[in-house]
Amino acid sequence: MPHLTRVKSRLSIHAHRKVRGLLEGEYAAIHVGRGIDFNDLREYVRGDDVKDIDWKASARSRTLLVKRYVAERKHTVVLAVSTGRTMAAMNDARVAKRDLAVFVAGVVGYLATRHGDLVALVHGDAHRQHARPPGNGELHLERLLGVVHDAIRPSGPPSDLAAVLDYVSRAIRRRTILVVVSDETHVSEPVAASLRRLTAQHEVLFLTIGDLDPTVPGTGHDEPGGRPALRRLVDVDAGDEVPDWLRGDVLLQQEYAALVASEESQLRRRLEQLGVVHERVHDTDSAISAVFRLLERHRHARRR
Amino acid sequence: MGVSWVPGESELRWPWLVVALGVLVAVLLLVWLRVWWRRPPRSAAYVAHATRLRRLPRYRALVRRRALLGGLGSAAALVACAGAILLGGRLQQAQTLERDDVARDIMLCLDASGSTAPWNVDVVQELRDIVEDLEGERIGLTVWNNAAITKFPLTDDYEFVLEQLEQAELAFSGWTDYLATEEYYAYTAGTFVSEFDRQSSLVGDGLVSCVQRFDRPDEDRGRALVLATDGEQRGRGVFSIEEAGAYADDQGVVVHTIANPGEPAEDGDLDELRAAARATGGTYALLGSDGTAEEVVDSIDDLRAARIERPPLRQVVDRNGPGTVVAGIGVGLLLVGWAVEWLVAARGRRPGR
Repeated sequence: MPHLTRVKSRLSIHAHRKVRGLLEGEYAAIHVGRGIDFNDLREYVRGDDVKDIDWKASARSRTLLVKRYVAERKHTVVLAVSTGRTMAAMNDARVAKRDLAVFVAGVVGYLATRHGDLVALVHGDAHRQHARPPGNGELHLERLLGVVHDAIRPSGPPSDLAAVLDYVSRAIRRRTILVVVSDETHVSEPVAASLRRLTAQHEVLFLTIGDLDPTVPGTGHDEPGGRPALRRLVDVDAGDEVPDWLRGDVLLQQEYAALVASEESQLRRRLEQLGVVHERVHDTDSAISAVFRLLERHRHARRR
Repeated sequence: MGVSWVPGESELRWPWLVVALGVLVAVLLLVWLRVWWRRPPRSAAYVAHATRLRRLPRYRALVRRRALLGGLGSAAALVACAGAILLGGRLQQAQTLERDDVARDIMLCLDASGSTAPWNVDVVQELRDIVEDLEGERIGLTVWNNAAITKFPLTDDYEFVLEQLEQAELAFSGWTDYLATEEYYAYTAGTFVSEFDRQSSLVGDGLVSCVQRFDRPDEDRGRALVLATDGEQRGRGVFSIEEAGAYADDQGVVVHTIANPGEPAEDGDLDELRAAARATGGTYALLGSDGTAEEVVDSIDDLRAARIERPPLRQVVDRNGPGTVVAGIGVGLLLVGWAVEWLVAARGRRPGR
């Protein structure tokens, strides 16, 4: 289980136990309805709903304990991943967007699996979309991640998030937690329409992955990780090379950075208008905290 | 004598090499373009949403700059290639050298007999005047009495000629009726063969001897003979004056006669001299009358200006100049282009802008 192992090792390295539990608490809090059958008590972690604290038990044990219930029914987390060819590009000099997409999907899926929820997958591009039925267990999740990983190819069709979202709204009837993983730079009108429709039915969490800055010059030597240094850049959409002489120009870097920043803020604002919580994943190191912030913001957004 | 290379047509020594290299460059260009168009994406990193770059004003500026520099560089490279190909083809130019020699020979033919000697001083002075006006011709001097000797053969060394004429003038001026100077005897030694002492001042034989001193008979040269005599013969020679004139005419020699009155007591055969001169197409002048020297010089000038039939010298010279200049311009532009590109790129990379 290479994909999930990576997720788990990352979680245990970067987030020690407390933070990991914290993430789980955050995840648990995204459920609207919790079951009524009492299961057991566990130690409070930040993020747990205060309403769940068992004050009497806490007083007895001198630690904060929260009640855990057996969920009334299992929730379904749908990972909607845009697997067009733009996902096959690089996120930064070391990490491919594909790996990052698989990773964040894996983090969310792992949390859901740990919580006993079902995980389903919808992925696709402009040409075709696929769905994997909900399932539980780490093996299932691993398979889903493998599907995502294999679906992303540089020679694949272009990305089309609206098509994927439309497919979700057609294929999934139940209320789910919809985690959208895409690399959109702006919210197009079809995407906005789809999101508007989907937010009525699902809890929509939106994760976007950034792009490699083509104006930054290659380092010229091999990275310590053994990956080759960036030498030539090929636009995955157009198929032609991003010329070398564009890289390293300070003014262009500034203009590009300003463009990316403005696009990101526009995207954020647009998604806020649509009532969709959004988080940008910059790299593997910050991916876990990005997921955490996403869950946190979702909880607050709902409370409002 | 004008020496100048007349440039002829420029042409390539190896035109096929130019064609081959041109084709090679074109083929390489095509191959390179193909490779350039379909660059293998191996070892390349993919980037998405790079089209956003095209909206940036700086991008457009960079592309314009790149197009300019790239165009300049390509043009410079092509120019350099063209120059190199031109050099490879060896542009050559044929040059011809026209050798413009004046192909005239003038033989001075002096009567050294006692009857003419006093006049010869004037004749030699006239001859010196003639020689000073000449240019390019070869001059020779023959003196004769009843035998002819060559004082100097045909030469274009005018300094030497003048020197010799000076000597002749000095010698002839030393003659007197009673006793001539040693210079005179020394100078005319050999012209009077005492074996034939009944014969002297043999004009016909002298003229024929002089005619025979023209060398290179097979070359087509203008030949003139200046005969100075009084036409007064003693005894009979092998040739009469008339026969000698005919012989000269036969040899293509124009005889200009400068006659002198000779000894007052005896009249020379001046009519026959004039007839002989006229027969060869030459002039006849009596020394002492006005404008004699000029007339003789004019006559000599009137000789057919036969050019030496030397074939024009032709040589083929590699003209590396144009190829070198073109290639140099190309390489120079290329270097300038690279330098500008490097500088501009370095300025763009400088942080803190």
